[in-house]
Amino acid sequence: MSEKQLESTVAAAEYQKDWFAQLRRDVFENQKPYAIVQADMPLELFQAMDVPVVSNQWWAAIVSAKRLSPMYLDCMNGRGFHDGLCRYCSLPLASTLCGDAAPAPWGGLPRPALIAARLTCDCIQRVFGIWSEAFGTEFIALDAPGASELPPRWWELSRHRWHELFEEHRLDFMVVQFRKLIERLERLTSKNFDPDRLRTLMDGVNRQEEYFEEVRDLICTAPQTPVRMQEQVSNVMATQWLRGSEWAVSHAKRFRDEVKARVGRGIAACPVERLRLMWIGAGLWHDMDFYSAFEAEHGAVFVWSMYLAFGPDGYIRYGLDDPLKALASRTVSMNEQLHNPPWANEWIVDQARQHRIDGALVLTPLGTRPSATGNRFIELALERAGIPVLPVFADMADARGWDPAGMRRKVAQFLEQRVAPAVAGRNGD
Amino acid sequence: MPVAGMTSNTVPWELLRAAGYFPVMLNPSGEPTPVADRFMEDGVFSARIRGIFDGITSGAWPFLKMVVIPRTSEQEHKCFLYLREMGRQGLSKGLPELYLYNLLHTRSAEAEQYGLERTREFSTYLQADDLATAIEESNRACRAIRKLLAFREGAEPRLSGTEALALIGAVYFMDRAEYAQLADEAAADFSRHTPLRGPRVLIKGSPLHHTGLHRAIESHGAVVIAEDDWWGSRALTQEIAEHDDLVRAIFRAYYREAPSPREASNEWFLARSATVDGVVFYLPQEDDVLGWDYPGLREALDQRGTPSLLLREDAANDLSSECHQRIAEFVRKLDT
Repeated sequence: MSEKQLESTVAAAEYQKDWFAQLRRDVFENQKPYAIVQADMPLELFQAMDVPVVSNQWWAAIVSAKRLSPMYLDCMNGRGFHDGLCRYCSLPLASTLCGDAAPAPWGGLPRPALIAARLTCDCIQRVFGIWSEAFGTEFIALDAPGASELPPRWWELSRHRWHELFEEHRLDFMVVQFRKLIERLERLTSKNFDPDRLRTLMDGVNRQEEYFEEVRDLICTAPQTPVRMQEQVSNVMATQWLRGSEWAVSHAKRFRDEVKARVGRGIAACPVERLRLMWIGAGLWHDMDFYSAFEAEHGAVFVWSMYLAFGPDGYIRYGLDDPLKALASRTVSMNEQLHNPPWANEWIVDQARQHRIDGALVLTPLGTRPSATGNRFIELALERAGIPVLPVFADMADARGWDPAGMRRKVAQFLEQRVAPAVAGRNGD
Repeated sequence: MPVAGMTSNTVPWELLRAAGYFPVMLNPSGEPTPVADRFMEDGVFSARIRGIFDGITSGAWPFLKMVVIPRTSEQEHKCFLYLREMGRQGLSKGLPELYLYNLLHTRSAEAEQYGLERTREFSTYLQADDLATAIEESNRACRAIRKLLAFREGAEPRLSGTEALALIGAVYFMDRAEYAQLADEAAADFSRHTPLRGPRVLIKGSPLHHTGLHRAIESHGAVVIAEDDWWGSRALTQEIAEHDDLVRAIFRAYYREAPSPREASNEWFLARSATVDGVVFYLPQEDDVLGWDYPGLREALDQRGTPSLLLREDAANDLSSECHQRIAEFVRKLDT
């Protein structure tokens, strides 16, 4: 990744690496249990039961950033898994099955006590089923009924009126599944679940996301963005995997303080910022330098991704009398919020307006289908709002089909031919 | 009679029938899909789902009063959301009423209870009255299919896979009482047919709403005696109990018996594949689910000594000569 401008970014990266090293020591030397889970699982329950979790998507990002995805994915194809299968959610599985193809980052994933996933897409129970066999460990699945009532401006209801936002039967079903998961975690840890502890943790999550909201507001209102998108992602995601914990809340505050100070001192991430860009979709983990490649020549800065923006709108829940139900409301519809109409398109256009976005790049990942949905509606909504869109067809984790130079040329052309003229037109130049 | 469209096999036909609908499986003809091409991402939705979306939104199917979409695959749920959005934004006029039937497929007491509640809700919503008659009609069709399937069994099958798929698949488009009668007549006819010779093949893979693959395999001298597919061998496999709690009985038939990509058990396949000479795995480019099962299933077959062949071309279109050659070689190998 290009230079890190914020001290908190360096601190977040160091913390994550140390955290993982400690996890390995705890597992290997002290036989402590840990879990591997999908990113949209209720991580809070594991944390409230003192079971550390590794997010599948986080590990995929690490593997990809270490440029290991081609070796692992080629190996999977060699084992008979065809090349049309989803890659983002299965790259960590590949690092387990194909461990001989290349040493995994940071010593690799130790054997978890259990693995768990919400069954959003159809393949996920198969991916986790194969993985649980490979590890010789238990797989816990949370089923996922589909949403059928979707008030378009969901973010206006999600904090205080989340009871109204999600269908009651979906919330209740999720809570029933949570209780079963809790029973399993109680057996694993020989501890009793304490709802008050979960409530405290959820309260911590709210505070953490409130800090992120302040950062988001600063990015919206400062003359130029004080923090690059990729540094937003590093700081936010390091804490989201441990959300509500003492470290996560304090790191969110530290990040907020640093960004606020930069704004106060008039420091911009890119002093020549002229064009503000939005990245829609998961990060390009194998080429994070892509995001700062258009600053010097075009003054084009990526100021928005879902990672920071979704924190406040997607996670904050006020009214924690029933913390399990509140947690269910956080968990039950993440995919619809980020990737499906009407929620994704309505929210993203609103975000684009608040962030004074000039142009948007929309990732349609060819190898990860659930993240690809909703994109045509998003593109249409942005264009209708006067924001030029460049669709990007690539995979966030698989570097094999990525043409870094070609894509940079394509984006440069988009900036010159569509974004800059649109901005000039708006400014009456 | 108002027509209710269904997108796959897990929509409870009996509830719609009991509510006075004529339920019909939506099955596009393979024509161009300009509306779907504009709104549905490439490589995400199967050709069949794209065709359904296009048929509904383009106004090509104005006879549809209602469309019921089960939560039986992720694509179907997305299709439901896309259709709603087309209506909300005024991008498509005159859409039929849309209903998401939230049937889950995990094997857990919670998922079963949730599905039963949603089925009761659906029944109430439809005001499904005469369930007993609808179940009886459906069961007659089920028995008729069983008779047809019997002609595919044994050392000397009398019904080709191509014929079987067309005959069985018709149940999704017809009045089931009429279907049962016609299928019974066909069965009587098949009992007089000459036994078919050739290696006995089982197909495992993406659902086949056409006979292209069967025709291709059988053109090389094999007989497709079964397919792990709701369009064929696994259509309406079990009769619904005609007494006690009828809604529960209907729900159970769909929850426990109907195949779905979200149900990962390969029990049926593993049992059935023990009785055939070879297996053809069909994983066209649009597959993103069964490909996860393939290496493990192939290994299980290898250990058992059952030959298998993997095909990845879309059989809805004419298969390439290279693909035909591979099928021919495979059938020859089975024959020796």
